[in-house]
Amino acid sequence: MAANHTTHSEEPAKRHKHEGPRKHVVAYIFSMLLTLVAFATVMGGEINASFTYILLLVMAALQVVIQMGFWMHMKDRGHLFPIIGILTGVFVVFTIVIMAEYWTWW
Amino acid sequence: MSAHSHLDGQLPHEPERATLEGRNKVLGFWLFLGGETVLFGTLFSAFLALRDQVGDGNPSGQELFKLMTVAIATVILLTSSLTSVFAIQAMHRNQVKAMQGWLILTVLLGLAFLGLEIYEFYEYVHEGHKFSTSAFSSSFYTLVGFHGAHVLFGIVWISLLIAQVARKGLNVVTAPKVYVAGMYWHFIDVVWVFIFTVVYLMGKVA
Repeated sequence: MAANHTTHSEEPAKRHKHEGPRKHVVAYIFSMLLTLVAFATVMGGEINASFTYILLLVMAALQVVIQMGFWMHMKDRGHLFPIIGILTGVFVVFTIVIMAEYWTWW
Repeated sequence: MSAHSHLDGQLPHEPERATLEGRNKVLGFWLFLGGETVLFGTLFSAFLALRDQVGDGNPSGQELFKLMTVAIATVILLTSSLTSVFAIQAMHRNQVKAMQGWLILTVLLGLAFLGLEIYEFYEYVHEGHKFSTSAFSSSFYTLVGFHGAHVLFGIVWISLLIAQVARKGLNVVTAPKVYVAGMYWHFIDVVWVFIFTVVYLMGKVA
């Protein structure tokens, strides 16, 4: 906010470099690998359940960071509000999940 | 390579942010996605609280779920997320034909995903897993069905955008719409990541 960013009118002089597909293909391959690990862990069978749970949640969290960062452009500049908004949403969701679990069964 | 095209061409770089209306549309859509996060969060919490309430003689998730079908559906949806990224990149290069092509591919993959899901639900119902069978089945169909409804909505939305761009061309009015639809599609993909993790994989371990 504070930094005086150059306006759009100055930029064409620098010639925009369009980002290539490579980054997104890499993000896709990483997503696939994380998915594969998650499915293989469960399909492969006999690993202790609580370890599997933690592993699955870590795989999912990593995948979400990759997809939102690269595909929804959240790692790009000027995405402070979206990041704050989504983190607020995640906080609310965690509260709801914990509340539902505890108030229903404990 | 195409750096010249928008110097002499009509479209600015990142046409979705060229107007205030476009920028507001993107920001407003993030607010909507925040609301969607909470919506799916409540459905997930209901599912997590009720997933063991199967009742006597009804099938549990562990017995029902076929991970192969889920894995195929996941690959399809992940791939469709990539094709929608390519559509936005084509838009940034002002290659309307390529953008339309990637969008059509995205819609087709979405249809394939939806077809698999309908087939899956059909199988479950035949195995005695109906909406009102148990608390588990109700919360399962509500959560996964809501996601499926979102996929269907996205398919209709993106199809209409393809038609609109074909009629009116790509400009600073239509570009934000395509961009926002791409964001929506990624969000649906992210929700699916949690569904296959929490519902299917964790359900299989339990």
